Amino acid sequence: MPSNTMNAAVLGSGLLGLDLVERMHNSPRLSCGLVVGRTSRSRGLAQAAELGCATAAGGVAALLDSGQTFDIVFDATNAFEHPEHWARLAGTGAVLIDLTPTSAGALIAPTVNGDQAARHQHIGLISCGGQASIPVLYALAQHYRPRYVEMVATAASVSVGRASRLNLDEYVETTQDAIRRFTGTSAAKAMLNISAAAPPPPFRIAMTMVASGLEQGPVSDVVECAAAAMRTVVPGYQVTSCTVTGDTVRVIAEVTATRNRMPVHAGNLEVISAAAIHAAEQHALVKAPALKELAR
Amino acid sequence: MTANTTVTVHDPTLRDGQHAVRHQLDAEQIRTYAAAVDAAGVPVVEVGHGNGLGASSLQVGRSRLSDDEMLATAREALTHSRLATLLLPGWATTADLRKAIRHGVDVVRVAAHCTEASVTERHLGAIRELGAEAQGVLLMSHMAPPGELAEQCALMVGYGAQAVCVFDSAGHYLPDDVTARITAITTAVDVPVAFHGHNNLGMAVANSVAAVQAGAHTIDACARGFGAGAGNTQLEVLVAVLERYGHRTGIDLRRLADAADLAERTLMPAPPTIDSTSLVSGLAGVFSGFKKPVLAAAESQGVHPWDIFVELGERRAIAGQEDLIPDAARSLAAQGASR
Repeated sequence: MPSNTMNAAVLGSGLLGLDLVERMHNSPRLSCGLVVGRTSRSRGLAQAAELGCATAAGGVAALLDSGQTFDIVFDATNAFEHPEHWARLAGTGAVLIDLTPTSAGALIAPTVNGDQAARHQHIGLISCGGQASIPVLYALAQHYRPRYVEMVATAASVSVGRASRLNLDEYVETTQDAIRRFTGTSAAKAMLNISAAAPPPPFRIAMTMVASGLEQGPVSDVVECAAAAMRTVVPGYQVTSCTVTGDTVRVIAEVTATRNRMPVHAGNLEVISAAAIHAAEQHALVKAPALKELAR
Repeated sequence: MTANTTVTVHDPTLRDGQHAVRHQLDAEQIRTYAAAVDAAGVPVVEVGHGNGLGASSLQVGRSRLSDDEMLATAREALTHSRLATLLLPGWATTADLRKAIRHGVDVVRVAAHCTEASVTERHLGAIRELGAEAQGVLLMSHMAPPGELAEQCALMVGYGAQAVCVFDSAGHYLPDDVTARITAITTAVDVPVAFHGHNNLGMAVANSVAAVQAGAHTIDACARGFGAGAGNTQLEVLVAVLERYGHRTGIDLRRLADAADLAERTLMPAPPTIDSTSLVSGLAGVFSGFKKPVLAAAESQGVHPWDIFVELGERRAIAGQEDLIPDAARSLAAQGASR
């Protein structure tokens, strides 16, 4: 392992776990010490090994028995297992970055409060819909006082795995909870559609906010500014329409994946994977602030 | 299936009909219609927002009453009929489900797009644990071939579904399409199979008969066909036709006809009709509930609603994706299409 980098482990060997591994390979501050799957037959584990990572089967117990010390653990399993992972990892001092839809950790969205990530040992990344909508909704809520906020995400069927399908309740509840917290409104609703259309469509987020004083020009500026900030973290993020009608603004955003392993439509995986790496790098910067200069 | 079999008629007038009135049914409307079909012996009455529990939203329309109010009102009015409701995972949660069952819902249908049965696993299991009857629904079923529908139904049975239903959400089927699908499903699963027709091509009753002849046990139908666009299978006509075929429904047809008259007077501004937008939505295989937002988008972009439906069909849009409608209209307008 190179010195001056944070040693990280990934719980979960799905597409998301593999993308985290690839992103760590590209990061000067993060190194992937271990990828843990459920069973040794997992195809994802074989692919992680091909990428040069140590792998183990047997869940969080295998991680604890690995003999390694981890600065960071990414949890890309599911919302049912996450509480146990936190219970068993908290005492090790590792930072746990939760990519499952629970509200347990400090909720972080990179362009909104990403600079606070390093203050928390337990970080929650809300949901893909939360990551894709909250930057825009938060920005609008800085200028207008929303009475109601709604978010409908549509993900391509092939990009929604079994864990996500079993966690739809947590997805809806955690996203609603986060929208309420970040916009200060008490009335928020989140929904998820799964599209079986072919070819698979990009990840799509329809956001609606009801507030007084909305005007098309200033609203469009706020939204485009939030989208531009998002593109520094997720290059495939685009606002495709922003329409003010009376007290209602409706914004549609689409997210395409722009990385090797990820199919183009898998913007839902891309937003949360990018947020996870962003949070990990915030920790790395605090631990070794001069590293960036050293690496040059 | 031979004559003299018993067919269970499932009445979603107070749920699917909501699409035709922007989910604005009030308590008095629900109470009087529920009481009338209860008295006529309709075995199952489904109530709720058109898109099911938890669906009241700007995306698909806010309902006048809360889920709690609708279910409590219907429960009070139903003395014999079983009370049913619908749930779409990703829209409603297990918390909504628990509340519904506390209101005395007997049957909960968990619905998914026809190729996405795996999203129903958790909620079908939860319904069984809570002691209600769990049914699995495949929406927009014309978008999957018979073999795949049968596999998806088998998955839902594995998750705990005690009946499986296929919805012709777009009103796209001809009777042979229904025969092929119901035959495949009844061969694959050993639970009752239900068919839910829409009338965009004028085939809803004929399709329902085909379903029964292919082994369906339950048929959905609404008074006067009350439903989105062209409407659903017309309840009172269906029961009369089933009687002529010699099937038993346990329904008092004369009283049911009165209930249908009451429905026309009290629930709807006008009974559904197959207008041109309903016709093209059936042809294009697009959810009938898109009619009102399509007309609005056609108006605002100056394009023909027919073309919007064709465009949505090409995009394989499904219910819940109402946000695609303005996009489709804008893209047509940009291509220079006109009314």
